[in-house]
Amino acid sequence: MEFTDILIYAVYILIFPGALFTCLFGLWLAGVDRKVVARMQKRKGPPISQPAWDFLKLCGKETVIPAHAARGVYLAAPYIGLASLIVTVLFIPLGGLQAFSTGADTVVILYLLTIPTLAMIFGGSASGSPFAGVGASRTMVSIMAYELPFILVILAVGKGMTPDGYYFTFSLEQITNVQSVFGPNIFDWRLLPAAVAMLLVIPCEVGQHPFDVGEAETEICEGPLVEYSGKPLAVFKLSHAIKMFVMTALFCALFLGGITTGMLWLDVVLALCFCTAVTLVSMTLLNAISARWRVEQLFKFFWTVVSGLALASLLLVWFC
Amino acid sequence: MFKKLIDNAAAKSPWLFHINAGSCNGCDIELVAVLTPRYDAERLGFKLAGTPRHADIVVVSGPVTVQSKDRVLRTIEQVPDPKVIVTLGSCPRSCNVFKGSYSVAGPLDKYVPIDVSIAGCAPKPEAIIDGLALAAKILKEKREAMK
Repeated sequence: MEFTDILIYAVYILIFPGALFTCLFGLWLAGVDRKVVARMQKRKGPPISQPAWDFLKLCGKETVIPAHAARGVYLAAPYIGLASLIVTVLFIPLGGLQAFSTGADTVVILYLLTIPTLAMIFGGSASGSPFAGVGASRTMVSIMAYELPFILVILAVGKGMTPDGYYFTFSLEQITNVQSVFGPNIFDWRLLPAAVAMLLVIPCEVGQHPFDVGEAETEICEGPLVEYSGKPLAVFKLSHAIKMFVMTALFCALFLGGITTGMLWLDVVLALCFCTAVTLVSMTLLNAISARWRVEQLFKFFWTVVSGLALASLLLVWFC
Repeated sequence: MFKKLIDNAAAKSPWLFHINAGSCNGCDIELVAVLTPRYDAERLGFKLAGTPRHADIVVVSGPVTVQSKDRVLRTIEQVPDPKVIVTLGSCPRSCNVFKGSYSVAGPLDKYVPIDVSIAGCAPKPEAIIDGLALAAKILKEKREAMK
């Protein structure tokens, strides 16, 4: 490997689209979300920089470690979650710019995306609080709820790309290439139910309002985060913001990919605009208009309606 | 450089934790009114936290009854530094009409130092926002004094 290659990978991992950019854009998305929710409720709302201020403030707070906590896991969990999210970003093409590419990007992403949620479950369980225990078990239920439709969506998109011949791929690069020839997947009527299902999976995976059963602050004191304070909590809040970016970027790669203007930087800016738009449609809108669901309602909804939509798409691309 | 940013952040995102220490619910309703669209304290970064571990400002309402005294003190101890203690309404400062009752252990300043008192029975939302903004300023000073 040449020195310049190493330099390019270092820039990819540390600056763009890796750690630095991901954090900043994630915090910006979270700020836009809070502002738009406030405007929809006829409030003035916090400034868009509010999540960034929250993050900085939490960095300056005392870190309390409960006496019953398993110290190592308790402190390591948030950082493992954050690291795996940043790695996930490197596999998602952003307007054609993909830092790392494998033959099976979507499978890698599927596995990497469960790690932040698992980190939250482990961290919460390690804190030794009964509230965290309840939150962890609820978070597990929500993972099971959204993973099934999520996998079905990915199978449908991988299958449904080419009209000619049987073709199946897990590679996001190929998905993007095919979209640049045949147009974005969202305009394919067979994949429309899958797109709707994915829009509903995004808030559940991120832990946004109607589906945030694991972090219900009014019922179980923010669940797994109940004992966290200071820097570990700041990292969890940052992970939450980054998850918004990761999930919307994945949606854009799966359904809005392959739109090229000829200039790479313009493509990237366009992709970021799409990310913001998807955030507003899938997360902010639901967040502003709905109340939190009960655990069993969430589970039933995702395994019937959302999985049904994704399955319909899968069957359509298979037989039509 | 980062220390200054973090110090500034302390005043810009104060999260509240509200403890009802035997209040008649009047002050509690006014605190909720502060967060509604009409007054919208969220534009200043205020947010109700679900647990004392996430809080910066502890808002205590009520005359601190014998039953609630230990719980209030324990909850306040759970808040990580820097923290600011705000009393909401007349009760926590003077016990108000409940003064002399066998079931009242207050006022609160017998047990913990109080940073801001918001007067009134119940205080107006404008007064509460004013008091909370002052508390945020004190929070920043406390953060600057740390380390």
